[in-house]
Amino acid sequence: MMRVLALLALAGFILLPLAQAILLSFTATLGGEGVARGTFGLMNYTAVLATPELRAAMLNSAIYVFLNVSLCIAVALPAAYALARYSFMGDRHFLLAILVFRVTPPVVLSLPIFILFAELGLVNSPVGIALVHCLFNLPVAIWILESFIRAVPRELDETAFIDGHTGPAFFFRHLMPAIAPGIGVAAFFCFIFSWVEVVFARILTVTGGKPITMAIQAMFTFQTNIGMVMAMTCLSLLPGLAMIWFVRNHIARGFTLRA
Amino acid sequence: MPPYDNRAWWLLLPAMLLLGVVGVLPLLAVINYGFHDIFTLQDVHWVGVEWFAEILGSDRFWASLGRSLLFSALVLGILVPLGIMVALVLLTCGRWAVWGLMLVALPLVVPWNMIPMLWLGLINPDTGLLGPGLAAVGFDYKFTAWHTWALILTMDTWHWLGLVVVLAYAGLSSIPPAYRQAAAIDGASRLAVFRHIELPRIAGALAIVFLLRFVDSFMIYTEAFGINAGGPSDATRFLTVELGEEIKGFSYGQAAARAVLYFLIVLCVVWAFVLATRRREA
Repeated sequence: MMRVLALLALAGFILLPLAQAILLSFTATLGGEGVARGTFGLMNYTAVLATPELRAAMLNSAIYVFLNVSLCIAVALPAAYALARYSFMGDRHFLLAILVFRVTPPVVLSLPIFILFAELGLVNSPVGIALVHCLFNLPVAIWILESFIRAVPRELDETAFIDGHTGPAFFFRHLMPAIAPGIGVAAFFCFIFSWVEVVFARILTVTGGKPITMAIQAMFTFQTNIGMVMAMTCLSLLPGLAMIWFVRNHIARGFTLRA
Repeated sequence: MPPYDNRAWWLLLPAMLLLGVVGVLPLLAVINYGFHDIFTLQDVHWVGVEWFAEILGSDRFWASLGRSLLFSALVLGILVPLGIMVALVLLTCGRWAVWGLMLVALPLVVPWNMIPMLWLGLINPDTGLLGPGLAAVGFDYKFTAWHTWALILTMDTWHWLGLVVVLAYAGLSSIPPAYRQAAAIDGASRLAVFRHIELPRIAGALAIVFLLRFVDSFMIYTEAFGINAGGPSDATRFLTVELGEEIKGFSYGQAAARAVLYFLIVLCVVWAFVLATRRREA
């Protein structure tokens, strides 16, 4: 009985702010042409989808998160494999060094990154945000993938090598299918840190290429249509929900690190 | 024992190149800026350690540092025990546990700048679901420091509880059932089982939680700024709120020096933590 009550209290705590947002997203909070204030309906969602800037923001977010996750996994896989399967000079220092990047607060690096990316022509482009998010996502991806690769018996490598598979063929045909849940979990954590990040998203999108977070920010004006803001927020949750659904059975395994 | 082979460094090369460009270069630049007065990028003057001396000599810096450390301590003090408790309850829920994990992970995918908005909407005295009730008991987050702190801490707990639960659950669910059965035969109490079997098993995951949550809570910006812009009267003026003001005011040299100091503080805490963890393992 206590357990059920505790779980209900937890569900209430988590869902209450979201319930409020969902409720508002279906309510006309400003009123307007032919729609009275307080009317219940899909008008906010239709308005969001009819606004080109908001549609572009969704596309921008999708592009940079996709680029970031792909880049992180592609670069983290060989690094995680090296750390899981070999010992070499400075291997423990490498793990500590990448930790430094995960713990560096984004706001510390915001100014030089803006200057550097302005030189490289990467400001106002989703590619810039995708690259800079590797700073904190790559260490997380390496940690997760390393623990998954370590859990795969070494015989997998040996059998593949005996069969003549080396290099990329081994990675694609043997290793990646064996640690598919790990790749899913690593992608999930990269996704959640990248999709919702604000500091770099703000400084790297001065005039264009704005992601969802900044598009929502820009909706706050003298007379904010809070219903529309909440509709945009609810839409921004959908890819995250899909990710949680896909990795639900493996989500807890991602960080079973060596204690 | 894995084979010793220094050629493995080649596999790390892409990660190192990427982190070098987006991490090492900007970090070196920040350190360099910290010793300069910057008017424009073409008009830069060497000032030595002047900014550092000025910041370290200001009472406001130490007050903000104290607030940030207190905030991180409270965040960890609330989140870690609560997360472990939720994970322990979920562990007894069988196939429902996965739904519980999905539920607590939900706030992790909410855009960070929308979290203050969601909570402010919830406690709005006119339209919020909780607002009228809170107003009836005299809660006004702009009124006292306690109220603002309580709101930011609640919001942070809501946002990050999922991470702690997922990691603690990962550790707890990896314990072989035989361990608990043996403890039950020996007549071990619930507390003894937790202390001697479960806690050592989740120590690795908790270490990650401590590091990630310390760093992120120490550098809290969006929530503190979104709720009360550092108020009321500086009560939630954390370190990053000051840094944000300097960047907005184009005091780049001073902002860089402040950023270097924050980075060093975080690094010292993390380093001490890693050393302590290694000593415990040894």
